Amino acid sequence: MSSREITYAEAIREALREEMARDARVFILGEDVGVFGGIFGVTKGLLAEFGEERVRDTPISELGIIGLSVGAAAVGMRPVPEIMFADLLPLCMEQIVNQAAKMHYMFGGKIKIPITIRVPQGAGRRTAAQHSQCLDAWFVHVPGLKVVAPSTPYDAKGLLKASIRDDNPVIFFEHKMLYRMRGPVPEGEYLIPLGRADVKREGSDATIVATSLMVHRALEAAAELAGEGISVEVIDPRTLSPLDRGAILGSVRKTGRLIIAEEACRTGGFGAEVAAIAAEEAIDALDAPIRRVAAFDVPIPFSPPLEDYVIPDKKRIIEAVRSVV
Amino acid sequence: MVTVVTMPKFGWTMTEGKIVRWLKKEGDAVRKGEPLFEIETEKMETEVEAIASGVLKKILAPEGSVVEVAKPIAIICEPGEELPPLEAILQGAPAPGEGVPRAEVSEEAAAPAKPPKPARASPLAKRIAAEHGIDLSALEGTGPGGLIVKEDVLRAIEAKRAAEAKPAAVEERAEPRPAEAPREEAIPGLPKAGKVIPLEGMRKAIADRLSLSARTAVRVTITAEVDMTEAVRFREQLAEEVERRSKARLSFTHMAIKAAAKALERHPIINSLLIGNEIRIMDEINVGFAVALEEGLMVPVIRNANRKSLFEIASEANELAERARKRELSPSDVADGTFTITNLGMYGVEDFTPVINPPQTAILGIGRIAQRPAVVDGRIEPRWIARLSLAFDHRAYDGVPAAQFLQTLKGILERPYELLV
Repeated sequence: MSSREITYAEAIREALREEMARDARVFILGEDVGVFGGIFGVTKGLLAEFGEERVRDTPISELGIIGLSVGAAAVGMRPVPEIMFADLLPLCMEQIVNQAAKMHYMFGGKIKIPITIRVPQGAGRRTAAQHSQCLDAWFVHVPGLKVVAPSTPYDAKGLLKASIRDDNPVIFFEHKMLYRMRGPVPEGEYLIPLGRADVKREGSDATIVATSLMVHRALEAAAELAGEGISVEVIDPRTLSPLDRGAILGSVRKTGRLIIAEEACRTGGFGAEVAAIAAEEAIDALDAPIRRVAAFDVPIPFSPPLEDYVIPDKKRIIEAVRSVV
Repeated sequence: MVTVVTMPKFGWTMTEGKIVRWLKKEGDAVRKGEPLFEIETEKMETEVEAIASGVLKKILAPEGSVVEVAKPIAIICEPGEELPPLEAILQGAPAPGEGVPRAEVSEEAAAPAKPPKPARASPLAKRIAAEHGIDLSALEGTGPGGLIVKEDVLRAIEAKRAAEAKPAAVEERAEPRPAEAPREEAIPGLPKAGKVIPLEGMRKAIADRLSLSARTAVRVTITAEVDMTEAVRFREQLAEEVERRSKARLSFTHMAIKAAAKALERHPIINSLLIGNEIRIMDEINVGFAVALEEGLMVPVIRNANRKSLFEIASEANELAERARKRELSPSDVADGTFTITNLGMYGVEDFTPVINPPQTAILGIGRIAQRPAVVDGRIEPRWIARLSLAFDHRAYDGVPAAQFLQTLKGILERPYELLV
């Protein structure tokens, strides 16, 4: 398979196009996904290619968007709704948590809800407290949902295709600062199985488990630390739930030091879950306290220097690693 | 008026109790008769009532500490009363050797005599230290906040090894001596030896390991006579098939490995490691077997022996023994054993008291299998009999569990068809 470089947004668009071409039951819906092509340009061109039945612009109605999707999925369709910002997810939590996540179980397996909810998330665009949050940890906490957060164009395309083909409800978090990132993506068909982590960089002195945009900050930190003779391994879980515990624990047992780098705020976050797993299952492999690098527990500021201060960066990750080696 | 709360005595034989939980915090109001703390003794767990009313001013023995009967564990003062100087009270305090702050005693005294805090070390460092018998309290930590980390323990292990390698005679001398100075020169009057085998390399490793076991384990050996007649018959019938299928000779040691593994499944406490203060009952049953070499012995390990068939065990054991004799065993071949078998029967030994392989808690010695007169249904018949000796560490468990294990093992060997399933 040959490889070429495309952007994260293009990779997602390709995944959508390929899955819609492959399976007539797949359709997309959301605010401004059709005529406008998505406010980040991700769904550009799909309306022209697939028509109004399969690319549906909706009113501003998050609860309705997901409710419609759950209903459609229940009778055999495979909807891919978009919720424009993660910050808007609270508006449709009832449909996600109480309906999509639970119907397969409560109906004794008689129906399935194969929806894939695409959600741009994250800070860095000065969109302030109500349009910058990372809320993936909330959904990791709900049984019945799968949570995916790709960090590269290659991962985004393979994981989105796999998510659409998964018969379970999947929440697919795209980081809005990654849309323009370019990366190698093979020409041909490929899928990345959900629940499988990726070692983005091998190392031996410390393990950083990083998600989404923080994968890149961690890699930058690792490159700089290598200059000081500290060898850092970077693990990208890619799927937050179900989590690839084996990959993480294997790495922790190898290096003895664990740092988790996440953009969401620290308290009660995904990092806490990973730290608990490591402490529960690999305590005697740990040679230092576990460290979490995350946003401060504050609403994300509108002021650019304050936003930059709150969100973790390469420097904070480097400090965390240095504090434990 | 100040009331000193002490560890109560319940029953004639109680000598100490462990504080499981404080039901009040420092500063809380306390009423006489209301439950104040919970203790655990050898025999039971119980709540203990406060012996006076007032304010729980100071807790001297934190949760988890073990305190002798009648020693002080807390102080109750009247509301508004100041905490008195603690020296007089702490003279009877539970902690040996921990610094009692004399000059600065005040309400905010940070460290009254509590039982000595364990050395601050990372879990990994603690594990490695326990495996190598390193005393953490003697180490300086280089990790975050002065934490003792793996590197510090590894350095201590190296230093210990280096110190032990120096011959004692060299240390006593003022002038440097050549390293090969024969040891008997250090002790005048010793007759000259015909041949000197230095205690180093494999021999030294064995000596150190067994010394540690002898010094620390409380070894008890129990013996059982096993009627091996069926086992002999079983082996005769199977030997050819095993040799054909796995190219390995089926030996009684192989049968004993599988029998022991099966017996360990039923008596998991025997399949344990005693490390530091913990008896760790292991999930994997990894049976090691002693292989004699010219200058010593090695104990390769058959992992998950309970899950392998007799064919697999025979084949694997033979291969490991081969490699042992050629000195080609890798560290993973001899690691993670949970139980060991040693067979001296072929040398005519009837029974013996093997040394337990630390940190394991038991070892099985197999004696000579020979025909002896035995009573069967009231008649005297020649039967094949062998004596099995199980040496176990009484710190980890007592005679009855060990005897029960040996009994099960004996049962399996006397009806060996069980080894086929």
